[in-house]
Amino acid sequence: MNTMKWLLRREYWEHKGSFFWAPAVVALVMVAVVALTIGYGMAAQPMDGTTTVVINGHQVTHSNMINAMGPDGKAMMANAVANGYIMAAAPLFGVLPFVVFFYCLSALYDDRRDRSILFWKSLPISDRDTVISKVVTALVLAPVITALLGVVTAAVIALITMFGAGFFGVHIVGAVLANKAFWLAPFQLIGLLPVYVLWAVPTVGWLLLVSSWAKSKAFLWAVGLPLLLLALLRWVSFITQSFMNVGIDVKWVADNIVLRGLASIVPGFWLPFGQIERGALLNAEHTVDAGNVFVQSWMTLLQPTVWIGVVVGAAMIVGAIRLRRWRDEG
Amino acid sequence: MSAVITATGLSKRYGLGKNATPAVDNVSFTIPAGRIVGLIGPNGSGKTTTLKAALGLVPFDGELNVLGFDPRTQRDALMKEVCFIADVAILPRWLAVKDAVDFVAGVHPKFNRAKAERYIASTKLKPSMKVKAMSKGMVVQLHLALVMAIDAKLLVLDEPTLGLDIIYRKQFYQNLLEDYFDEGKTIIITTHQVEEIEHILTDLMFIREGKIVLAASMEEVGERYTEVMVPSEKFNAANALQPIDQRTVFGKSVMLFDSAGPNGATREQLAGIGETRNISVADLFVATMKGSYA
Repeated sequence: MNTMKWLLRREYWEHKGSFFWAPAVVALVMVAVVALTIGYGMAAQPMDGTTTVVINGHQVTHSNMINAMGPDGKAMMANAVANGYIMAAAPLFGVLPFVVFFYCLSALYDDRRDRSILFWKSLPISDRDTVISKVVTALVLAPVITALLGVVTAAVIALITMFGAGFFGVHIVGAVLANKAFWLAPFQLIGLLPVYVLWAVPTVGWLLLVSSWAKSKAFLWAVGLPLLLLALLRWVSFITQSFMNVGIDVKWVADNIVLRGLASIVPGFWLPFGQIERGALLNAEHTVDAGNVFVQSWMTLLQPTVWIGVVVGAAMIVGAIRLRRWRDEG
Repeated sequence: MSAVITATGLSKRYGLGKNATPAVDNVSFTIPAGRIVGLIGPNGSGKTTTLKAALGLVPFDGELNVLGFDPRTQRDALMKEVCFIADVAILPRWLAVKDAVDFVAGVHPKFNRAKAERYIASTKLKPSMKVKAMSKGMVVQLHLALVMAIDAKLLVLDEPTLGLDIIYRKQFYQNLLEDYFDEGKTIIITTHQVEEIEHILTDLMFIREGKIVLAASMEEVGERYTEVMVPSEKFNAANALQPIDQRTVFGKSVMLFDSAGPNGATREQLAGIGETRNISVADLFVATMKGSYA
């Protein structure tokens, strides 16, 4: 167990740039953009909120408009913020799949290319533990770092936004902080990790297998090979369709094998792929509800495709371990 | 003394079917504990393959026992007792000195941290320095610091000083002898710079085209092989004693005799034909390997 701790630490040392600094920089940019936008809005508006707009002959001020919303409107707004603010972290989860993708491709390839594998192999570390440490890094360490950064970023953006809204007379900070959904959302986000892990296993397995096998051009093999096979299949399907009137369901292969194999590391992949109704994610007010997303995501685990993917992915990870053990590094 | 490595019918082929070329061809040998063995052969003779087989890095045919383990099936246990430097300057570029020490200390039960740090302190390496900022010689110093601090029963060095300048090379072997080697340890070295290590070796193994052509202790080699400077008037007499090799230096013939060979000449006979001296490993190597690249 101690060895595993050091192996994970080693992965973090090597990839601190992509696991921590890349999302951290994106997070900083997001916060800066929001802060500047609101700051600009505040600077451009008069301080007293008495700017008048004429609507249907009535003079309306900001404050009038907001007061006209009444307490119900404010509560609705606070509820929407408390339930949905975590979505502001989405760009970070857009960075994550790229980081994980390229990490996995290089994980068992780079040290073979620069021959430093011979140093790692001179230590009493089994190839199984080495590969497992890379699986854990890709499936747990990287998403957890991103999720933690995401929670902090989303909270900061929500607070800045609410502060800005308060400046215009909409005071919902108290209502949002009093809403338990606001505090629950980070746990629901972290609580999605097992769902992410189970869905992402086949992609991580495939990439590690290629990474362990390729002598060069790991990216081309990982992406090009499935696309080439798909093109070939399409051609075969065309032939059989033309002469025997029997087609191959190429789209099914494209979705369930190629896309599933390459894109399962995208967070939330399971929502469209698991055929979740969009309506199931919304709450009574027709805004996205973090609680509903959480429940629906876990529900996807009832589908056999998840578990087939886990089995196939695990088999590919075993293959990567065997290749790592016996591949002659010259 | 028990054997550290016992090979019986060890073979390793590259390629498949009829095109398979043997890199190591049905080799058997024993290396006892407490020795410093030079495994010496021309490029492509199979020495690296032999070592890789012993370290469990490649599959092979035949029997191989290293410290009581089968490298194929018991590699994880074996690596607690064995360490190796497979090539120079192969530490990962992103690794910092202090992280390297922390890591090896974390994963290796036989690592002596204080020893590694003491050795590092005697070099120009700084704890925060990364491998990518080091010269080739410094990378080897770091690697040696890590490896020497591991109390392994067997240390395998495959061309450990290739590409280093003479100062680093001398220092490397000196450190190895002074701070690492003792009677409980065994070191196997391959190198092309034979003349630099011959004084530290206790045993020699010559390998040629996948076969071991000579395996002997340095004393045996000294007793068995003699070089004689033959003046021209004794040339025919010397030739009659069947030298295994001869060359000409400043008009004098230098002949090499193998006392264990067929019709091997005795020391007394050789003394009669000219000035005798002990042969250097490099000269013996060149004589043994004649025609290897032809």
